[in-house]
Amino acid sequence: MLNLFEREKLDLQSLSPSDTAINVEGLNLWFGKKQVLNDISMKIPKHRITALIGQSGCGKSTLISSFNRMNDLVDGCRYLGKVEIDGRDINHSRENVARLRASVGMVFQRPNPFPMSIYENVCYGLKLQGMSLRRTLDDSVEQALRDAALWEEVKDRLFEPANILSGGQQQRLVFARALALQPDILLLDEPTSALDPLTTLYIEELMISLKKRCTVIIVTHNMQQAARVSDYTAFIHQGELIEYADSDSLFTMPVKKQTEDYITGRYG
Amino acid sequence: MKSAIGKIYTADKRQALAVGLAASMAAVLLLSLISIVIFILIRGSSYFWPASINTIEYSDFHSGKTEQVFGQILMSRVPASTFAEDRVIEQGLEQHWLMSRVENGELIQSNEIILPTQIVSSRNELDIAELRLTDGTRAFIAPAGIRTEDREYVDLVEFSDVHKNVKILQRQLKVIRDEHLSPIHRQIAQYDRDGVALDAPARVKLLNEFEHFQRAIGNLEQALNGYQLVVRDAMGKQALVPMGNIVSVNFPNRLGFWGKMGFAAQRIWGFLTEEPKLANTAGGVFPALFGTVLMILLMTVIVTPFGVLAAIYLSEYAPNNSLTAAVRIAVSNMAGVPSIVYGVFGLGFFVYGIGGTIDSLFYSDRLPSPTFGTPGLFWASLTMALLTLPVVIVATEEGLKRVPQGLRDSSYALGATKIETIWYTVLPVASPAIMTGVILACARAAGEVAPLMLVGAVKFAPTLPVDGDFPFLHVERQFMHLGVFIYDGTFHSQVNSQGSSMMFAACLLLLVCVFGLNFVAIKLRSRLRKRYARD
Repeated sequence: MLNLFEREKLDLQSLSPSDTAINVEGLNLWFGKKQVLNDISMKIPKHRITALIGQSGCGKSTLISSFNRMNDLVDGCRYLGKVEIDGRDINHSRENVARLRASVGMVFQRPNPFPMSIYENVCYGLKLQGMSLRRTLDDSVEQALRDAALWEEVKDRLFEPANILSGGQQQRLVFARALALQPDILLLDEPTSALDPLTTLYIEELMISLKKRCTVIIVTHNMQQAARVSDYTAFIHQGELIEYADSDSLFTMPVKKQTEDYITGRYG
Repeated sequence: MKSAIGKIYTADKRQALAVGLAASMAAVLLLSLISIVIFILIRGSSYFWPASINTIEYSDFHSGKTEQVFGQILMSRVPASTFAEDRVIEQGLEQHWLMSRVENGELIQSNEIILPTQIVSSRNELDIAELRLTDGTRAFIAPAGIRTEDREYVDLVEFSDVHKNVKILQRQLKVIRDEHLSPIHRQIAQYDRDGVALDAPARVKLLNEFEHFQRAIGNLEQALNGYQLVVRDAMGKQALVPMGNIVSVNFPNRLGFWGKMGFAAQRIWGFLTEEPKLANTAGGVFPALFGTVLMILLMTVIVTPFGVLAAIYLSEYAPNNSLTAAVRIAVSNMAGVPSIVYGVFGLGFFVYGIGGTIDSLFYSDRLPSPTFGTPGLFWASLTMALLTLPVVIVATEEGLKRVPQGLRDSSYALGATKIETIWYTVLPVASPAIMTGVILACARAAGEVAPLMLVGAVKFAPTLPVDGDFPFLHVERQFMHLGVFIYDGTFHSQVNSQGSSMMFAACLLLLVCVFGLNFVAIKLRSRLRKRYARD
């Protein structure tokens, strides 16, 4: 608990480009006629965990999905504004979406192992990238499973179907699958909401250990979780970014009334 | 009125009535299903079962003379006469018998209808044999001995040795005919076409050779005819049957239950591996079975990629608009089009249209005799593929729809493009559904008759569509199909009741094939489901 008070605090408004993982500028997004995101601008720092909180349907999942353009898959989705990763606007029409998604990993709420063996699950993305050398694949799979703290549990049954794993193991497998591609950014869309508390703890530890390697952005409904694991927190309400600050400040002394109401449970 | 009924039938009673009605309908359904299976099973398997041979004494209806014959009862039925009812009451059902007797030294088989009242006595004698002849007929006789070239009487014990010798002679005959005589014959015919003079030395030499082989054949045939089986009918009249015409001699009256089982197994094997005889009323069904399997195989190869790709386009790529909806409705309606319509379309479009064009473009030297412009295996497979396409498309689309969005999203999130996602993730998960569709399509094609008769299936095909000549698979040839075989055979059965039991045996085989296919479909589906199961 001590290090909680020792966390360094970056100035989120004037983050230097080298410290910025994602730079969102004036992002508006519509599903059909409904505007889901309204003029969002924020800078997400590198190698930190940033949490997005807010009510259901406030647009936080949509926001996280716009970091790897998963929203493209939704019919009738339009957007305006810039999302910059490494100084590159990913909303540009010439952006290679498949490559973008390989470098911005994503983990969903429900574990979705592919109907194949554990091994094949982990190297799915690698194979898509054209990696086919057995030895490199073996190494990458082992490393990814170690990173996801799953190696010890599955090393003897790598070639068994992935769906024999328990829910928590499956979710860690999904982490391994994303980590195998060595992403710069990892997007987590409520990764623990379908898991039991102990497995949740596992996953949270995993997230913290991942900070060294990549930028983690997590959407969560669990305020305690956001406070526990994240360095920075953004509160979103009805498609607007209400408050964005380091987690300690936001959860202890929110500036905005709406934030305070939400985190104290007055609505939502 | 309504209220009165309402009073009589309380809610409870109505409930009971509805349940009872529904249950009885289900019972009727089950009953009819079971009776179909049992009926086909009994009638079909009776073809293989060696029935015992009776020695009956019966009096002729008109002359009143009694006569003794060896025979087998084929079936009993209500007589087809105007006084049928009275006759049934007086004399019982009429019986159809297959009998053998010797007349003027010739063995004669006949189908006869007699009434139970005509039969004076009936018994089973152990020494009566069933003779199976090469033309497919069966005769019931008492074998008396064997006559060979050099010996007047050889005991029956040596039958198999003598039979072996006969077979060797037959094989020699065949070799001379196929490998020596017919090439010479062809060569001479070629000379005649080319206008070679009748007394040209080459032609004369060939003619001499031809005569030489003809003589050899004559000698062999004479030797062959020297081997004869001496048989007697029930009246003791004697006849000679050339050994070359005999397939087997067996004594069903001597067999116990297991002996009969063994015999039946042998006959089932023969049924599956032999060619049909006596205008499809005896022998086996091998060409029909082979043709059916090959046609289904070809059809599967055609329909699977087409159906799956079409379903992928419809469910994954096609925009969600009214045109797509219209296409979907059209596909479902295609499944309801009567199959004969497909047959006519196949004949008009594939056979005469495309086939005729292929002939005029590539095989013009063989015209006017058509190569592809005539009904054949390929056109039949194509027509059946078209007919079963909706089954595959609908099943595949259902399967694709059931693949969870989360799985697709996970794949996209790992940097997969749409086609990669479909190929590596969606299709494997949907594969049980696709399999089911394909196998259902196979079962449908196995049972179809009407369209096949128009586009290539025939009641008798002289050659199989696969042989040793390049290109080994001759898709332009006509072929035999089990369904068409049964259809054809049932017409013969009106004159020959022996054929009808063969038809039931063929029905049984078809049923086994279709049930087998469905069973495989279910097994495969549950196995794949287990493999790709989602929590």
